[in-house]
Amino acid sequence: MRLVFGLVLLAIGVSVSTSGAVGILRMPDVYLRIQSSSKTVTLGALPVLAALVVVEGPLTSYGGRALIVAVLLLVMNPLATHALARAAYSVGIPMWSGAVVDQAAARVPGQGGTGPGGTDSGGSGPAGGGGRGSGPGSEDRGR
Amino acid sequence: MTIGSTMTTAIGVACLAEILIGGLLLIRVGLGPTVCDRIVALNTMSTQITLAVLLFAAFADRSIYLDVALWLASFSYLATIVWSRYLERGLL
Repeated sequence: MRLVFGLVLLAIGVSVSTSGAVGILRMPDVYLRIQSSSKTVTLGALPVLAALVVVEGPLTSYGGRALIVAVLLLVMNPLATHALARAAYSVGIPMWSGAVVDQAAARVPGQGGTGPGGTDSGGSGPAGGGGRGSGPGSEDRGR
Repeated sequence: MTIGSTMTTAIGVACLAEILIGGLLLIRVGLGPTVCDRIVALNTMSTQITLAVLLFAAFADRSIYLDVALWLASFSYLATIVWSRYLERGLL
């Protein structure tokens, strides 16, 4: 029974990881590739780790370490993906030519001429947070 | 309770498949047009290689490789966060 569960979870994980890698190869845009990458981790990596836990048992060294890695991936992956997508947007990487809507263009002030003027104070406030306060000064010193 | 030889074979095949997926993502690292494409592909590739190391540890019954997998899982995401922060705000 454990063997069947382990085999099914391994098959799910490896197939979803493969489709995510193909998506990263074939998607036309950074943002679509980011989406595909996060699906790879959530539905591709976690079943493999769950298969290790099911096969080896949760209290052995392999299963326990797989649980730790699973929690780490589950916490860190949305964080890193969000930070990377925000950085890609604020650097100004263009979207795919078939993209329909850009809802963040009115809210992010760092996009230059794209946003039509408004929300200067309202935009830079929530985007900055604590790090932005010391950010521009040190950045000017650095350059 | 020891795992059967069928499960050991399946874990080895899955380890090889993860390594092949990492090689597939290496293409995107090579020809990604922007830096962010390369970072996305590297992030995914390090996750897959972490899984491959874990599966190899279970396949070859070497528990020393588990620490390598833990290190990879924690520090690859740290690298992604640091890279995106650098792209967004510059040095420091």
